Amino acid sequence: MQGISNPVPWQGPEATAPIGVPLVDLLDRVLGTGVVISGDLVIAIADVPLIRLSLHALLASVSERVPAPWADGGPL
Amino acid sequence: MSVTQHCPVGPAGNVGSSVTYVFAVCGPGRPGPFAATCGHTGGGPLRLLAVGPLWAVVQDVPAVTFSETALHRRLTDAAELERCARAHHDVVTAAAAGGPTVPLPLATLYLSHERATAALGANLERFRAALGRVAGRVEWGVKVYVVESDTTARPAPSAPPETPQPGSQRVSGRAYLSRLRHRQHSRELNRESALAAAEQVDRAVREMAVGSVRHRLHGPEATGRDRTQVMNAAYLIAEERGDELATTIRRLRGSPGFDNIEIEVSGPWAPYSFTDGGELAGHQ
Repeated sequence: MQGISNPVPWQGPEATAPIGVPLVDLLDRVLGTGVVISGDLVIAIADVPLIRLSLHALLASVSERVPAPWADGGPL
Repeated sequence: MSVTQHCPVGPAGNVGSSVTYVFAVCGPGRPGPFAATCGHTGGGPLRLLAVGPLWAVVQDVPAVTFSETALHRRLTDAAELERCARAHHDVVTAAAAGGPTVPLPLATLYLSHERATAALGANLERFRAALGRVAGRVEWGVKVYVVESDTTARPAPSAPPETPQPGSQRVSGRAYLSRLRHRQHSRELNRESALAAAEQVDRAVREMAVGSVRHRLHGPEATGRDRTQVMNAAYLIAEERGDELATTIRRLRGSPGFDNIEIEVSGPWAPYSFTDGGELAGHQ
């Protein structure tokens, strides 16, 4: 999988500079997707209200810290 | 079998104090290489466990930082959550570089290698089916936003809408109400055309996809206040069709009705959103 082996595995189709994997998109994927099988420790991440709160805070801090990749209306 | 020798090894080498973190299950080919990734901080080297003909990518991690209570505490801390998510993702991505890979959700943990092997082995058929589905395919994220134009966007966000701006000229109640109605109306129009645009994007991308999934929409804390997300989707697409996707998105961006629409594409991702079903019907 040549695409995935890219060390910065995120790219706009416009070949903009790599900006790393956007955290908000990553969290969509690592929380609550994938084959869910029962573990010995049950971590119901997506259903824990505290985690939701933390995600909220996290996303707020992300949007302040990291300018949107298309902030200049770039590839539109 | 250890697959990382270059990483600082944490105290988790001691079996009594560690638990087994499972990142992903990979097809019969050897997953990796894992040269550029070390897994979770404080853990042991990444290892491959044989699960029937498949491989699980695992790491011994300290029980004390990966207990249920510890995880609840850590994953509610923004910085820790980000660290964990990125460590998980790095390993999944490295595994997927070697061949078909089914990612497991963040924090799938077992008390020992044996228990992990048994639990994964009991799901062998599900893993086989999922691996068959994702082999030779990658996931792309496509998000669609409507940019709020000046007439429709924000009266100062903190001010209640019915209060005239301080310092602004006195306006008659009727004029004010009419302006408010106008603003409301154009906002609705804006939203309707945005949804139509999102439909159009979805239709175009589905034509080249074998599966699609909608993720929850991101709120203003992630998108910024000047635009509204109207679609957050993931598509499973043959890995050689990335250029075709780029061309399609470029064409859509230039289409009529897309003046105040933004389309963002991310990928290729390991097939996170397509390992346990996903909307595959009608895509064969």
